[in-house]
Amino acid sequence: MRLLDDAPMDPEVAAALDAIDSTLAGEAVDPQYAELAELALLLADDRPAVDPVFAHTLDERVAGQFGGAAREAERPSRRSTWSGWLAGGAAATLVAAVVALFVFVPGVNHASSSSSSSSSAASSSAASSAVGTTSSAGGGAASEDATPHRTSSGAAASSAAAPATTSSSGPSGQTPQPQPDGRKTIQSAQLNLSTAPSRVDDVAQEAFNVVGQENGIVNRSSVTQTGNADGNAFMQLSVPSSALAQTMTKLSQLTYAHVASRTDNSQDVNNQYVQAKRRLADAQALRTSLLKQLANAITTEQVDSLKAQIRDAERSISSDESALAALNHRIAYSNISLTIFAGSPPPVTATHHGSSGFTLGKATHDAGRVLVVAAGVLLIGLAVLLPVAAIAALAWWVGGMVTHRRRERALDLA
Amino acid sequence: MNRFPRRSEGVTGTVATPDQGAQQTSWERFEQLYRSSRDDVFAYVATLLGDRSTAEDVTELAFERAYRRRRTFDRRRGEERAWLFGIARNAALDELRRRKRHATLVVDPEDPAADGPDDGAEVALARTMVRQALSTLPAREREIIALKFHAGLSNAELARVLGVSESNAGTLLHRTMEKLRKACNATA
Repeated sequence: MRLLDDAPMDPEVAAALDAIDSTLAGEAVDPQYAELAELALLLADDRPAVDPVFAHTLDERVAGQFGGAAREAERPSRRSTWSGWLAGGAAATLVAAVVALFVFVPGVNHASSSSSSSSSAASSSAASSAVGTTSSAGGGAASEDATPHRTSSGAAASSAAAPATTSSSGPSGQTPQPQPDGRKTIQSAQLNLSTAPSRVDDVAQEAFNVVGQENGIVNRSSVTQTGNADGNAFMQLSVPSSALAQTMTKLSQLTYAHVASRTDNSQDVNNQYVQAKRRLADAQALRTSLLKQLANAITTEQVDSLKAQIRDAERSISSDESALAALNHRIAYSNISLTIFAGSPPPVTATHHGSSGFTLGKATHDAGRVLVVAAGVLLIGLAVLLPVAAIAALAWWVGGMVTHRRRERALDLA
Repeated sequence: MNRFPRRSEGVTGTVATPDQGAQQTSWERFEQLYRSSRDDVFAYVATLLGDRSTAEDVTELAFERAYRRRRTFDRRRGEERAWLFGIARNAALDELRRRKRHATLVVDPEDPAADGPDDGAEVALARTMVRQALSTLPAREREIIALKFHAGLSNAELARVLGVSESNAGTLLHRTMEKLRKACNATA
């Protein structure tokens, strides 16, 4: 029945329609349309009239605005139901977006993104000989200031915290701590930090402080502050393996430094350790046996021969003990190669860990992060909402079409 | 095509209060629309459904829906009367659907008093003849007659309610009138 084309009307049809309209308007029409006019008048006069009682009732209802809001509250409209569903869906999506952001986006729930990988290599004690992970953070352009050139270098010269006795005494009293699965591993790490040219000294001092707090040793250090982009510092650190992860975390969060890259290494030396202990035990058993034989020796030749064997055994024991002690030291203490270079702009994370109070810089940084997180939440929310909205719109359109077809069909069947 | 004043303004007892140019609230616009269209909507729905009692319910429902949606009316999409009759049409078709589901068809018996006491016998006879002829038409064509002659819609409004172009609406109306005329002649 519905005609979609809009072809021009037949002039005869247009004239007949004009005659109908003229008739309804009470105007005279051409005699050739008299029959049509009469039919139109009969149809118009036969229109159903409104019952006065119903008209009065409806007038009152309209005047009362159909019971006002109370009735609408009793029977919420389809639109408000839809609005409720949409609002609920939007709220749920927003919550999901916030949760997803905090779970999956690094840097939102962690102080430093690059420190999160520190323990993975440290705790890895698999049978593989070496396991390492590397993470990098971007650097930046240099911001320079005019700080006088100054250079200091030397073994443990800059270490205010690392006692010299510790650095040379070895692991006395500090036996290797067994790993969770009992295997012996040697751990090491490399950390590259960037900082402002004027902050190389400060960062180096902070690193020394961290090493001191963790009972570590500064094996070697070299600090060069020029005030320009060529300023740098290098440190060879040794810290108790049990404190390696914590030390790396602290070094990654120095106030004025920004992690440029970080590498954690782990080497399984369990077999080597067991063999060294076995060799030592064998040598000690041999010496004990020789001493017993010496006590029972009668001839001078026997005594001399046994004494020579005992000396050999004691040398072997001494050598094995040294090897085992060195291995224990490497297991108990982990090496950290720390490089600090100038050239990056002042790191954003610096303001996070400072112990000072509220500053404009911190406030700006925090405001920036809030905006970034808000934008992220908005973006994720949109990414979730847009497909949902598209599906809802499609469903709404299809529903409307189906309802329309059903209505038209009902008219056809009436 | 729309050169005559709206029939409902002159024929029905409702009061039309045109307030052109003034800033009207949505309620005022609705009230004005109600006053100018109440009888027309009822006449259209009653003709379409053939049941005065149900037509009263559907008319009330149509105005209530229009009242609720009065703020969503977009003048760019057509005149208010066409918008209102679109709502009334949907309500009436929903009623037809409901009837179909309940498999009951209630049609009012013809009201002998509807002819009016002053009508002459010839006019009464002609009116009866037209009613009979009208009842033989399909519901879709009865609807066109109802919209044009009982609701007093212009051809443009008719087109808007039916969702067709104005020329197509005119063609449909002409075709239906021709069919009705032939049915009348056949009845005679």
